[in-house]
Amino acid sequence: MKQPEHQRRPDAVPKVTGSLKYLTDRFEENMLIGKVLRSEYPHARIKRIDTSAAKVLPGVYAVLTHHDVPGLNRFGIVMPDQPVFCEDRVRYTGDAIAAVAADSKETADQALAAVVVEYEPLAVLDSIGKALAPEAEQLHENGNILHEASYTRGDLQEGFTGCACIVEEKYQLPRQMHGYMETEGGVVVPESDGGISVYMATQHGFKDRFQLSRILNAPEEKIRIISSPIGGSFGGKDELNLQPYGALLALKTGHPIRVHNTREESIRAGLKRHPMAITMRTGADESGRVLAHETTIYADTGAYATLGPAILDFAVEHASGLYPIPNITTTGVSVFTNNGVAGEFRGFGGNQVTFALEGQMDRLAAKLGMEGMELRAKNMRKPTDAGPLGQGIAPTDGGRNILEDVTAWQQLPLSNAEETPWVKNGRGGAVSMHGGGLGYGRLDPSGGRLALTKDGKLEAAFGFEECGQGIVAVIETVMKNTFSCNEEDIEITIGDTNKVPVSGSTTASRGTSMVWTAVENMKASFRRQLLSEASRVTGTTAADLYLEAGGIHKRGAEPSLFLSYRALAEYVQDGDIETHTSFDFPVTPDEIDSGHYLYSFGGVSAEVEVNLLTGTVRVLDLKQSVSAGPVMYPQGYRGQIEGGGIMALGYTLMEDAVMNGGHYQTENFDTYLMPGVKDLPDNVTVKPREEVMEGDIHGPRGVGEIGTIAVAPAIAEAIYQAIGARPEKLPVSREWVLQQIQQRGLLPWNKPEKIPGG
Amino acid sequence: MEQTRKDSRGIEHRQGTYACTFRVNGEEVSVDASPMDRVVDLLRDRLHETGTKISCGIGRCGACSIWVDGRLTSSCLLLAYQVEGKEVTTIEGMGTEERCSIVQEAFMNEGGFQCGYCTPGMIMAAESLLRHTPDPDDEEIREGLSGNICRCTGYSGIIRAVKAAAANLQ
Repeated sequence: MKQPEHQRRPDAVPKVTGSLKYLTDRFEENMLIGKVLRSEYPHARIKRIDTSAAKVLPGVYAVLTHHDVPGLNRFGIVMPDQPVFCEDRVRYTGDAIAAVAADSKETADQALAAVVVEYEPLAVLDSIGKALAPEAEQLHENGNILHEASYTRGDLQEGFTGCACIVEEKYQLPRQMHGYMETEGGVVVPESDGGISVYMATQHGFKDRFQLSRILNAPEEKIRIISSPIGGSFGGKDELNLQPYGALLALKTGHPIRVHNTREESIRAGLKRHPMAITMRTGADESGRVLAHETTIYADTGAYATLGPAILDFAVEHASGLYPIPNITTTGVSVFTNNGVAGEFRGFGGNQVTFALEGQMDRLAAKLGMEGMELRAKNMRKPTDAGPLGQGIAPTDGGRNILEDVTAWQQLPLSNAEETPWVKNGRGGAVSMHGGGLGYGRLDPSGGRLALTKDGKLEAAFGFEECGQGIVAVIETVMKNTFSCNEEDIEITIGDTNKVPVSGSTTASRGTSMVWTAVENMKASFRRQLLSEASRVTGTTAADLYLEAGGIHKRGAEPSLFLSYRALAEYVQDGDIETHTSFDFPVTPDEIDSGHYLYSFGGVSAEVEVNLLTGTVRVLDLKQSVSAGPVMYPQGYRGQIEGGGIMALGYTLMEDAVMNGGHYQTENFDTYLMPGVKDLPDNVTVKPREEVMEGDIHGPRGVGEIGTIAVAPAIAEAIYQAIGARPEKLPVSREWVLQQIQQRGLLPWNKPEKIPGG
Repeated sequence: MEQTRKDSRGIEHRQGTYACTFRVNGEEVSVDASPMDRVVDLLRDRLHETGTKISCGIGRCGACSIWVDGRLTSSCLLLAYQVEGKEVTTIEGMGTEERCSIVQEAFMNEGGFQCGYCTPGMIMAAESLLRHTPDPDDEEIREGLSGNICRCTGYSGIIRAVKAAAANLQ
């Protein structure tokens, strides 16, 4: 059943009226302000930490350092390598050294200023090259390589031998910032049983609970994580951020602690997208069949691991994308540096390799004298082809479907019919394939709960978080579609580890898919329970009863509403009508580590206008075709693709968290530029391709990431079509564009310089 | 009594407070404040009017947008003494859960928000735009919202909402 486009999200009214309390909006009685002291240096030994002056300041309740961590003084989702508080060494300027609790922000600031830290600065490894140099200091016990990953099939050399045409390029991808509008923070409340309640955003409440339990040396049952609603995350709040400091200070002082990063603090300590240097060599025969594809990836993962290894694995997997090339060698290295920590970010390594891969396809096509889309069609995967790692995947024709749309869009006329001599337009297209879920060999459990509450509501409970993506609207829609109920009949429970079942993380485009699957699993049992209880209390045969708006309806009765959910609830005990499900995200049957099973596909067509005088690139038209199974909540689906598209436009044309010597040069939104409303293309189109293969049982795939993947290569190709130069480095700077214009003599008064004697 | 102190960045602050009196959404409030306190902090931390958000703190993102005597302003760049005796309007003064404004209705219908954190500021900007320019063209809409950043929607839903609101206000 299709929902009307105007169906409002359940959180709509509180969001537009400002009445919604975000976790950073909370105030508690006797609340203190917590603040964290971060390192002055990107790399240094700590000689001495002296907190005595800070401790005696009036209004200061606690000053904590590594001595005050009762459990493991480390965090990290996969490998806990990041110190809660540094002991003897700092590895980036976001490293924490001390935390204070005080009666006001001002006093807390004063206390931070009074903490004396003596450093002995060390050589700053601010590039992959420096970190890999033989003489480089080891940043971690196992050296400066966090992770290596590779994939090989066929025989690369033999493949290249058969090629009539080979292209090679080195691509450079920037350090993008998530730029969620709400910075990290919230309140931690010490509870009377010695436990704590943590009101802070995360993308996986149970994972935060586990990590905090390890740090606090406290049982998980004593820790409650309340983690929604969230003012944006995009992967950036997946790892712990301020939670340990709020928790330690709350337990130490016995007061509720409020912590809230300023934007500068958020940028300094927070995650970013991995900068990558990707070299690709790709060859095809005369007919355009790609025979060999070699990829080398270097990722700057910064000072600590977080999900860096998984991101590299994902990049390696997606390096050949939608093309079943016979001979492939892909190698990736993720390198520790003294730069900001890089980690999970919408697209998860797919954005970087797709920019390179699609760039290769366009370069190859040009060299072969083919249209870019023609070359892609020639090499496009078929429905039952294996996945990029050779693993079996759920059959899908998504690749061909989206390519069909992008190919058609490439034929559209350019919008500058009346030519301005100093403005050149161009159109480009690109396609992408993106795995959902965490992949083979990784714990990826999910589940949900349905129950009739004592107030007569159909409760749908999931361990997912609402970061803005609209999971609450998806839950509501799936419930309405399944049980033919009204919004008023539904109670959604999310974001509280004391109330929700295990659903896994709110990441990897998996939420929508998992909600749908869980309700599919539970619907028969839940319906049966509701009807049999209704039959029991009313003495009516269950066969005459059915579920619809408001409660149990009876066939042939007028009005048909027979027993409201509220009335039914009065006859039953809490928990009498309740059903659970737990299952794993579907994985490939082949034992191929990290290989995905469910993929979504995104095709992009972009038209740009390049101003030859200023070097400005403006995107005029951005069209996206998306194959991710059926649409659950149209407004949310459209919003994910539109919003993801503009975030990726920023990645392509303006965003880079510049670092110099291990220090961020872009400390706030005055220097880190994200798209504003004036950067929005005149036309933005989202076209869902909902068709799935016959017999497909997997339902919706989730579209949290796919709208961000193929945008950059489409814009890059459009720039090439406009000025004849191919960007290999993002973001595409005006300086680069002007240089290309100059070199090509695109302005009538600025012909290319003659080479003397040439 | 007035004292001075230095914060972590070495910036000197004068301490000492006075009763700062202004009106918020039609009601007079008096807050014990330093003249140098940011208005966004008075609203959020002192009056607990948390509809007004804080994001960049330097006037670039518009999340803290309010009106002062009807004029759209970033409350993170505004100090307590600057609102003395003035009329401050925040998102809480725009509409209520029971009765949303036409602009708020349009934001809900057209997908004008996702995480919602920029939304109060965005709505303050949109309401201001439509009061001054009831029938804005595309350029005027973009100009009117150019001080507000949204990271989720990519602005398309916001523009649809402003257009729908303009039509409904006619």
